[in-house]
Amino acid sequence: MWAPVQFSIAKHFPMKNRRLLLPVFFALIAATSWLIGCKKDADSQPTVGTVSFEMANMVGSKDLALDGTVYTTASGETFTVSTFKYYLSNIKFTKADGSTYAAPGEYHLVDAARASSTNFTISNVPTGNYTGVSFVVGVDSTTTKGDPLALPGDLNPANAMYWTWASGHIFLKLEGTATSGSAPNPITCHVGGYRAPYSAIVTASPSLNGNTLVVRANQSPKIRFSADVLKMFDGNSPGSHVALSTFQEIMMPSTRAVQIAQNYAAGMFAVNSVQAN
Amino acid sequence: MWRTFYLLRAGRLLLAHWRLVVLLALTGVVGASAGCSRVADMALAVPGTEQPSNFPSMVYGLAKNPPDAATFALGRRLFYDPRLSSDGTVSCGSCHRAEAAFSHEGHRLSPGVGSRLATRNVPALQNLRWRQGFMADGGVLGLELQALAPLTSPLEMNMPLANALARLNADAEYQRQFAAIYGPGPIDTPQFLRALAQFVASLTSANSRYDKYVRHEADGKLSAQEVSGLLTFKAKCGSCHATDLFTDERFHNNGLDRTFAADSGRAHITSQPAHRGLFKVPSLRNVARTAPYMHDGRFATLAQVLAHYDHGVQPSPTLDPLLRSPSGRLGIALSSAEQADLLAFLTTLTDNDFLTDRRLAPPQ
Repeated sequence: MWAPVQFSIAKHFPMKNRRLLLPVFFALIAATSWLIGCKKDADSQPTVGTVSFEMANMVGSKDLALDGTVYTTASGETFTVSTFKYYLSNIKFTKADGSTYAAPGEYHLVDAARASSTNFTISNVPTGNYTGVSFVVGVDSTTTKGDPLALPGDLNPANAMYWTWASGHIFLKLEGTATSGSAPNPITCHVGGYRAPYSAIVTASPSLNGNTLVVRANQSPKIRFSADVLKMFDGNSPGSHVALSTFQEIMMPSTRAVQIAQNYAAGMFAVNSVQAN
Repeated sequence: MWRTFYLLRAGRLLLAHWRLVVLLALTGVVGASAGCSRVADMALAVPGTEQPSNFPSMVYGLAKNPPDAATFALGRRLFYDPRLSSDGTVSCGSCHRAEAAFSHEGHRLSPGVGSRLATRNVPALQNLRWRQGFMADGGVLGLELQALAPLTSPLEMNMPLANALARLNADAEYQRQFAAIYGPGPIDTPQFLRALAQFVASLTSANSRYDKYVRHEADGKLSAQEVSGLLTFKAKCGSCHATDLFTDERFHNNGLDRTFAADSGRAHITSQPAHRGLFKVPSLRNVARTAPYMHDGRFATLAQVLAHYDHGVQPSPTLDPLLRSPSGRLGIALSSAEQADLLAFLTTLTDNDFLTDRRLAPPQ
């Protein structure tokens, strides 16, 4: 490589032009060290991995079915479910030292009627050992106020998770019928709204139960969650219980919608397992 | 994201046909000036693409959805197509009539599918490029999104968006029209709403006798009574019905009721007690043709509206301060002569060019 260069120097650069060689030489050195530097970066770069989410929609200990199966609440009320859909977004992974990675642009609509929607992956997660996970159940206000025509697939208003009368997404939708009252009572529960005092944007942080989520370039762990419909109607705080036989429809932001959002943020999601690969 | 998608798709097309691209680029250099004038011609073929000199600047500017004749024609077809309602009987144009400035003259409330009555009076559709938000409560944040509200309301067209798209995609002629504009592939949400927005954005009323008067145009003459009405209007109505769009684009409680159980207005969207009974100030353009009046269509005539402001204003905690004088008197005192002058003035806002524009009528 060098010999022909030297040869060409002698041949093509007469003495009076040799002064030009010095800058050319330095430029070559700079370019070479830049190339080497890049290679070194690539070698030592903290690489990224992929994390899979799998959502199992449940009612208590039973799998959720939208076929008229009758379920029973802790207080003995019975009901059926015909629709169960919710957004998961703003997914964050936390390390033991408290540092976090917030996955950008993740908006996933989980629809109990569409099996493919219950599995999704988050790519470009920096490798590391994570001890916590959290996500918004719903859509952040900036995005939901933004132009939905510029938003990708799951946020498309055609998914019937959008309030056309008050531009913004429905964060969670449950529809069904309470069957334990004197007459069947329709359950129409559309939770949404990003404005105070009835913002229903809530974050769930289900415990990994002491497991570590190990993300490596060649290791794509999967978190298996369950989402328990019953927890929508019973939270941790007194007064959080919502009776189904007397349930009145929720189709706009309200204190009742916020109560249900707090209930499902507190207890609906649980981690069943963290699989290494 | 959609934009990125289209850019990517465009990029792939360019790569695939690079020889053609080079050829086009060379031709483009030669024909650049001709191309520019063609674009201008296309825009001119679409009504309402010019900025009237007496209007504020556009909110929904031309660049947001560059007007062209083909997309305008497609939007017009969509606007007048009853197949966009669940039972195929109601189009946008069923309740928004061109000859009434796209309001539903004579209807307090209008029937949707199955003759169900919506909850508010049909508003006029005009000068929407200059609007900040939509609906009497401001719930809809943009022009392209506006159509979704009546489309999906069970009381109006009762059509979920996915069903509307499926119906369009099942129609060969729509497929062809959309593909000619947006390229091949299924008709999707942005295409549908942007095409429709091209039509409603074109509904510009800027040629009333009043406009010609303020622009000092040839036939811009007002009678002495009309000028007197204009002066009264500026003094007593103009703070809310501001600018030559005749709205400040804000929400006010104009004293229709003492309580707002039936319709809380802006508070329906914001849940703020201070917003109970506040409604968006409507434009008064073509107001003589858009009866009945108020968000619920309670007043059949403009004379009743003026009577309301003179002596019908009801007290409530959110009543607009402008309607409460220091003496405690409510409303805007208007003598019978002032009311007659105002009625005369308001008729000068009728824009017959707009009301009879055949390009805006149902396609033949």
